[in-house]
Amino acid sequence: MLEVKNLHKVYDGHGRRVTAVGDLTFSVPEGQFACVVGPSGCGKTTLLRVLAGLLPATSGEVRVQDAPVTAPPPGLAVVFQEYGRSLFPWLRVRDNVELPLKAQGMARAERRKLAGDALAAVGLSDADGAYPWQLSGGMQQRVAIARAVAFAPKVLLMDEPFAAVDAQTRADLEDLVRSVWQRLGVTLLFVTHDIDEAVYLGQRVIVLSAAPTTVAEDLAVDLPADRDQLTTRSDPRFTELRSQVYARIRKVQAPASEGASA
Amino acid sequence: MRILWRVLLAAGLPVALIAAWWFGSAGSTDFYWPSLSTIIDAFGRTWTWEMFQEQVLPSLWRLLAGYLLAVLLGVALGALIGLSRTVRDLLEPVLEFLRAFPPPVLVPAAILLAGIGDRTKILVIVFGCVWPVLLNTIEGVRARDEVLSDTCRTYRITGLLRLRHLVLRAASPQIVTGARQALPLAIILMVISEMMAANEGLGFTVLQFQRGFQIPEMWSGVLLLGLIGIVLSLLFRLAERSLLGWYHGQRAGQREF
Repeated sequence: MLEVKNLHKVYDGHGRRVTAVGDLTFSVPEGQFACVVGPSGCGKTTLLRVLAGLLPATSGEVRVQDAPVTAPPPGLAVVFQEYGRSLFPWLRVRDNVELPLKAQGMARAERRKLAGDALAAVGLSDADGAYPWQLSGGMQQRVAIARAVAFAPKVLLMDEPFAAVDAQTRADLEDLVRSVWQRLGVTLLFVTHDIDEAVYLGQRVIVLSAAPTTVAEDLAVDLPADRDQLTTRSDPRFTELRSQVYARIRKVQAPASEGASA
Repeated sequence: MRILWRVLLAAGLPVALIAAWWFGSAGSTDFYWPSLSTIIDAFGRTWTWEMFQEQVLPSLWRLLAGYLLAVLLGVALGALIGLSRTVRDLLEPVLEFLRAFPPPVLVPAAILLAGIGDRTKILVIVFGCVWPVLLNTIEGVRARDEVLSDTCRTYRITGLLRLRHLVLRAASPQIVTGARQALPLAIILMVISEMMAANEGLGFTVLQFQRGFQIPEMWSGVLLLGLIGIVLSLLFRLAERSLLGWYHGQRAGQREF
């Protein structure tokens, strides 16, 4: 589970102070699929990096699995947006998936098996001997997801993972993430700027305001658990929810732009 | 067809130059500029298997020992400096000072300290060759990708595993660049150190021929040095291809898109 309490993050450098996250408080219970949306530049990536223990908070507290985060917490995996840069180009797909397991000291046979299962789960059994750069963008992101799956984390963070892939691949990957979440039973925080994606994927959508960031809206997505690109997206309730999120985002953006012109 | 064309392109200029040398020097009566055919004649007579064992092998051994030591030292020190800001701040001024020495200047001092044996020559080669490797390694280690570093941190890939799979591999294209620059330096320093202080070796032999007015033999030694350089750079390219296959593949892929 994830807890964010009065998180505040200021970037200080070259005589310029930028408040990336104003005052953020929310928590994600065990096993929930939560999506975070917000206007661009609202500190979504900052939030995620603080949660992952990659960036210290200026003030406030972040807890993962009931332990305060000071370094990357155990049992937490991150899928980054830049799939091309998060895979090791000098390692084959299989070895990329196995490396975190090797770091845990897992025996070779077991590693091999877990990696094979994870690659099968993302539909990449045939590509295990390839290098990442021999694969398409969507396939590379699948490898990154397989690596997280094999790691079997308790908490999974995803930072706009599909922002750089084409629409069809994106729909496939969305369904893949849903099925992975259901299978692993992880707590999943999915950061995106795409409202439709957030509503389609999550059990809950957290809307952030423009910087300095606060929680503008916290919305439960009461769509059936069995989701499908066609039927779910044409469900009237889906349309209603996405309009609600959209209106909210429009509203949080407006005062910021007025403030900028003043 | 394309392969044939590329071979022709690559071999064209060397063949033309050798032909020009051959015909240009044919029938030369100048004592100091013998014809190429005379030199090749001398080459066959001079560089027998015995001569190779006595004069060339010791040189090659010193060359390889010095070069490999320099690469090892450069990579180890470079990784250390590239990873730690403190070590960098501590060592950088000293390294800048040491780097300013032309390595041959060390030969007389090294002879006093270490004699005229292999140790002096290996030392001089190491001292000259370590710089390109060191500086390129530092750059490569410092420029490693941020996302990949974050990936290692979140998956708790640390220690030796991180050194091997992140730090050194990410820097390997730059390390190879440094090692490539160091290779001809190693040959130069081997020859120079053997000319200044030795009783055997290629540099020594060439100098002996020159002093004994055995001019075609001297030229054949120069030719042999050139051939050694070519063979070494070919071997280097083979090693590079297996080491950096991923790098060239990735770059070729990026150009396609």
